[in-house]
This record gives sequence, C-alpha cells and structure tokens, in this order.
Amino acid sequence: MNVLITGAASRLGRAIAAELATDHRLRLFDSIPVDPGEKAEFIQGDLTDPKTVWQAVRGVDAILHTGEPPPELPEGSLEREQCLLDHATRGTHVLFSAGVEAGVRRFVYGSTLEIFTAYPDDIYITETWKPLPSPEMLSMSRYLGELTCREFARDNMIGVTALRLGRLVLEEEVEDREPDLMWLDLRDAAQAFSRALQRDTGGSVRWTGRWGLFHIGADIPNAKYLISPARSMGYAPQHNFAHHWPIEAAK
Amino acid sequence: MKKKVLFLGASGLIGPFVTPGLEADFDLHLADIKPHPDGTPVDTVDVTSYEQVYEASRGMDAIANFTVVRGDPVLSFQVNSLGAWHVMKAAVAHGIRKVIHSGPQSVRNAYAHDFDVAEAPGASGTGYYGCTKMLSREICRIFARTYGIQTPYFVFAGLGASPMEAVKGQDIPIFRVFWEDLQQACRLALEIESIPDDFQEFNLFSCEHHGKFRLDKAREILGFAPARDWGEYFKRLP
Repeated sequence: MNVLITGAASRLGRAIAAELATDHRLRLFDSIPVDPGEKAEFIQGDLTDPKTVWQAVRGVDAILHTGEPPPELPEGSLEREQCLLDHATRGTHVLFSAGVEAGVRRFVYGSTLEIFTAYPDDIYITETWKPLPSPEMLSMSRYLGELTCREFARDNMIGVTALRLGRLVLEEEVEDREPDLMWLDLRDAAQAFSRALQRDTGGSVRWTGRWGLFHIGADIPNAKYLISPARSMGYAPQHNFAHHWPIEAAK
Repeated sequence: MKKKVLFLGASGLIGPFVTPGLEADFDLHLADIKPHPDGTPVDTVDVTSYEQVYEASRGMDAIANFTVVRGDPVLSFQVNSLGAWHVMKAAVAHGIRKVIHSGPQSVRNAYAHDFDVAEAPGASGTGYYGCTKMLSREICRIFARTYGIQTPYFVFAGLGASPMEAVKGQDIPIFRVFWEDLQQACRLALEIESIPDDFQEFNLFSCEHHGKFRLDKAREILGFAPARDWGEYFKRLP
C-alpha cells in the first residue's frame, strides 16, 4: 500500500516508518525536514494547511496519523498550548477531510492511554472504561483528536482505528527508572500501527463497525492496561520490559 | 449583592434576546467582538484571545459563553473550541465556580425517528459547527470535573420569539426554545449551587408535545419548565 505517515520526524513516526518500509511505499509528512531514505518520499508541511495536506494525501491508500505534537512549538506556554490544541483538532480535521476527499479508506490515529491515569492501579482498564482526561494540554488535545477521528468514522464510509498508546519509551532506555505500568516500547507501538493498517472496515454499514478502538500496552505480568482486543488484530508486543518484569515472574 | 456575570456573545444571535431577562437578577457584563444591535454598550472581548477573556473575567462570579462561529474552517475551531478552552482556563485562574456554555443539539441526527428520547449521547458529525462545539463540550466537561466548576451546557436546535397569537396550519415546533424559556433556563443555571458531576448537558426546548424528545433532566436538575403550554398556540381550530 501507499501509506502516509504524519508526525514523521517524531520518534513514533520514525519507528512506524522503519516497521513499514519493507512492505509499503511510504510518504512521510512533518513540518520539519525528514530524510526519507531511498525508497520513501517526504512532504514538508503543517497539518493545519489544507494545501500541503492535500498534496500529502493524494494517491495514498492509508493515512497513519501519529497524533504526535508538532516538532517546533512556540516558546510561551499559552501559545504552546494553543498550538497543540489547534494541531490536534483542526489539524486532524483538515487531514481527515482531505483524506476522505482523496478517496482514502483506511485511517489510523495515535491516541493516548494517559486519559486513564485518574483511575487507581487496582482497576484493570479496558476500552469499555470511560476516559477521564486531565486538562493537561498534551494528553487532552490528543484525546480531542481521537474524538474528531471518531466523527469521521461516523460520517463516512471509511475505516478508522484509534490506538490508545502507552507512554512511549525504548525498553533499553528505562532500565534504571522506576517501573511504569503504562510503558510501551516504540517498536511495539509501530507494530500496532502496522496491524491496524491491515484492518479493512470502511465498508461496514454501521459506523461502530467502521470505528475501531484499541488499547496498546506492553505484555507485562498483571498488567493494568489489558490488551486482549488489540491481540485480535494481531498485536503481539515483543519488548515487555523484562528488566523490570522478568518473564519468570509471570509463572 | 447580585452575582456578577460575564456574558460573552452579548451581541450575537442569542445574547440580545436573553440578557434582558437576566438583568433584574444579575449584574451583567456584556461582551462581544461586535457592537450590540440595539446600541447597548458592550465591552469588546474576542474569545480567541486568552488575554482578553482573562481580563474580562476578572471579578466575575460566573461566565455565560454564547459565542459561536458556525461554518468556518478556521474560525469555528478558534471561537468554538479554543474559545471554550480560554473561558474555562480563565475561570480556573480567577476561581470562578460557574460557567454556562451552549451549543447545537446533536441528538436529533441519531434519534430523528425515535420517541421518548432523553439526553442521549449526540452524534455531532464532522461539520465545522457540530464538531467544534462537540470539542468545546468535552473541554468544558474536563475542566468542570477537574476543578469543580459547575458547568451547565445547553444545547438547542431552533431559537426564537414565542408565538403571540394562534398559529394556523403549522405543527408545534420541535426542539425549539423560545426566548423567555431560555432566559429562565439561564437564570436557573446561574442560581443553582451545584449539578451532578459538575457538568451536565441539557437538551433545551419549549415544546414536548410530540413525545419525541424529553426535558426530564432540565426539569429534574434545574427545575426548568416551559413558561406556558405553547401548544395552545398551535391548536387546529375549526
């Protein structure tokens, strides 16, 4: 497939590109230059600019919208938050509108599990739990982006998959840190995007069939964030923080 | 002492018809980006500017946000969503414990052919108006729950003047709120001490006769009741 990846300059975007490079033709999109390598192409632009977004979506079969914040944010805290909100909401709307108009039928969005931190650790969290996002703009805006995506699934014959991602790290870089139940290795996040890309649900007559929502976390012993539904699309995390949760502890 | 209320959108499609019904009970501070159609003095406040909203909110006990841009690909986001964030952020900054917001109903899209529909989760769709107001609702809900800001959120379809005489050959309007009923709802919302979960969305309209949509929540939580049986004006007479 021809696949557009937004937020391509981010660690998540790069991980997804690495995951998909062998099997797909990639178009990378971000507001700062990204080296596409020999096989991919790159378009530089802002998600809130309909003209460049239109160029980015033309001819692609799928859009992987990482949900990552813009790489260059204003200095001031107010302007920074305003930018995050605009990028996540209007930027997502511009992207999905253009994608629909261009005939794209598969969309994947990177949402966040941060919307469940208000729940205590003695609850197993699944997709059926009510999100309790905080007003912290980084996570709140990402959640609002998810809601925007959902409306596009409601209104259009497209398949939209939202992946609520854990806290993105690399397994090897957190060995010295206190363990975090929400950790998710970037490579497994990328794998989740790859699996979600295979979902072809745009033809469902029910909007709830077109919309998919999956929690993406690590496979650790007695996990708080359960990932059974994500396994149904083939998600199988490989980097499960064995330094903190040795495999033997599960036995 | 009357509660001080910042009324944003005082010059718009709703403000000029609602504020007269609140003047007796509240110390209203009218604000908008444009002049009042009747020449009533209003402060210039652009909700897309946090600084302006912050300054206008200083000293207020409550904020009523009736600003809206319906169909613009940029302004709808800036006024409806970003504006809502500015209002809630200013409320937090000033310790304001009451904010009223408003938006379009979205329950009719999903339940247009059903009956006895109470408050059901709406389907805003991707239109600029509905989508950005949906986002504003969620922003309000998040702030209300986090900071304990009592936030009644009114949603309506049509608004307008109540009938003054019998209306021949027309059905009772559905999901339409008449000005005196909206004034009453705003008054009740400003007066009530607290609402469940700090945030509630209220379907608001003046006529329940069809049995299609219900006012149960507004009635039970706010004590709202249409000023009169407006159906009397739409009777089929011989």
